[in-house]
Amino acid sequence: MTAITTTRPSSARIATARPRTNHLTALRTLTLRRFALSARTPREILVPLLTPILFANVIAPALAKSTGAFGGIDYTAFVAIGTVGLLVPLSCILAGVGLIVDRENGAQRDLLAAPVPRSLLVLGNLIVAVCIASLQVVALIGAAVLRGSTFSVSASGLAWFLLATIGIAIAMHSAAEILAARVPKQEEYVGVAPAVALVPWFFAGSFFRINAMPAGLTVFAKVMPLTHALALMRYAMVDHRAAGLHDIWGAHSTTMMAAASLAVVFAFAGLMLFLANRVFARSAMR
Amino acid sequence: MIDVQNLTKTYPTKSEPGAVHAVRAISFAVAPGEVFGLLGPNGAGKSTTIGMLTTTIEPTGGRASLAGHDVSTEPIAARRASAVVFQDPAVDLALSGRRNLAVHAQLWGLDSTTADLRIADVVDAFGLDELIDRDVSTYSGGQRRRLEIARALLSRPQVLFLDEPTVGLDPRIRFELLDVIAGLRDRGDMTILLTTHYLDEAERLCDRVAIMHRGDIVALDSPTALLAALGREILEVRVRGGADTTLRRLQQLGLAGADAFSVGTTVTVPLHDGDARTAADRVVDARIEHVGLNTRAPNLDDVYLRLTGSSLAA
Repeated sequence: MTAITTTRPSSARIATARPRTNHLTALRTLTLRRFALSARTPREILVPLLTPILFANVIAPALAKSTGAFGGIDYTAFVAIGTVGLLVPLSCILAGVGLIVDRENGAQRDLLAAPVPRSLLVLGNLIVAVCIASLQVVALIGAAVLRGSTFSVSASGLAWFLLATIGIAIAMHSAAEILAARVPKQEEYVGVAPAVALVPWFFAGSFFRINAMPAGLTVFAKVMPLTHALALMRYAMVDHRAAGLHDIWGAHSTTMMAAASLAVVFAFAGLMLFLANRVFARSAMR
Repeated sequence: MIDVQNLTKTYPTKSEPGAVHAVRAISFAVAPGEVFGLLGPNGAGKSTTIGMLTTTIEPTGGRASLAGHDVSTEPIAARRASAVVFQDPAVDLALSGRRNLAVHAQLWGLDSTTADLRIADVVDAFGLDELIDRDVSTYSGGQRRRLEIARALLSRPQVLFLDEPTVGLDPRIRFELLDVIAGLRDRGDMTILLTTHYLDEAERLCDRVAIMHRGDIVALDSPTALLAALGREILEVRVRGGADTTLRRLQQLGLAGADAFSVGTTVTVPLHDGDARTAADRVVDARIEHVGLNTRAPNLDDVYLRLTGSSLAA
């Protein structure tokens, strides 16, 4: 056997003046990169829009015609908000396909070797997912307005609506990050993703008030963050009497109930984002 | 520049915790400007070692530092000093070559003016002028690999990791890339750690090589010194059946030393200072059954096969 020879260099650091990467610059770079990649695959933006727009513009008007008055509010607007609860999770979860592509055939390994905290990769992806979901929501509401839905918007209402949308988008994109880190192949992801995006929507009072469901399911719906988000959005845009929030909390102060629901949505979003960062960091480090 | 002490990676298995020893307490040091090769077949532990040095695999023991920065406790500083060319492509296919370079430059902290200048430099140096504004999905394998090497050089890293840089490329492109890497070596301002299972690459490019086998370093020296251990010539005896019996016979007759080895149907006998003609005559005189005899200069294949062959036999 050949003798092993090693030369130990000095343990002193090799003097260099290497540029440090500003974290905000890095986040901007990662966000613009993800935007560029998403813009190259417009189907990721357009496909999730299709089903909610059809719900809001075909099914909701037909149901409104069939069922008549709905607690004094425009049912088509009620359903349009309900379909936001379908659109945002679908859009965010389907964006997870791009994360797997990034890992399998993209530049993710080079990004992991970059001198920046790896949580910035998750954050960059998240910012893009939230922006795209927000644009899709604008398109959905715009389509509903064109179809004749009536929304009543104030500045504070718009703020509640935006915050609820952002909160649920953060939570669902975080779920996509977790799922993408756990699932080895795109094919498997595509099989699992719809269930994650769709199932909560069925229980969240998308087409009806949650107390129309059996008691057990109503209790289940009350703990789901999506139910809180939808009730908050409707309070902001359609139902200023806050019937949805009242179904959840049973309190009198609408502002308190809205704040409590927003807290639920953001607590869930924060937890999911924390888990997404943790799972991503672990999957990046083998 | 690279200092590795007892670096270990053990993967737990479901049935037997700690059973898979991917890297077993290896130690080596690489001086500034040196080109160092990790040599071995798939599964030897080369890529795991690079993974630990580039902070994508967490060591289970030992320590390693790049430019004085411990990879476990100062991973971002260690990454700042280095860049990697991965075995498989790691580029955004849907983006242009220029956009890929710009993202890398920004993440490594280059301001936009410096980034533009350096991108222009590497585009020129690597002959990417006509490709750089096209989507990378339209590049050939060799063009993509050139882009990746160019990208890694943008930050002018102190340490450059090249993980099997020529694997899967056709011979002409492989030859071109070896020229590129040789050019980097000649600049002498960068420490390069290269993994390969192509022994000719290691022989051509590396100042020193560490031969890895089953997670261990079984030899570490300059290619010249490793070859010198086998002498100027070797004798190959090709037989019809298994070569182990023939090897034992040659050793019993004193025609082969302890460093002779057999693989498949060939016995390889290092001649050290012996004369090739005389050695061949002695094999014939001893009536050793064979189907062919030939002599040639040793190469790193022989070094590797001798070292790992003996380990496998043990």
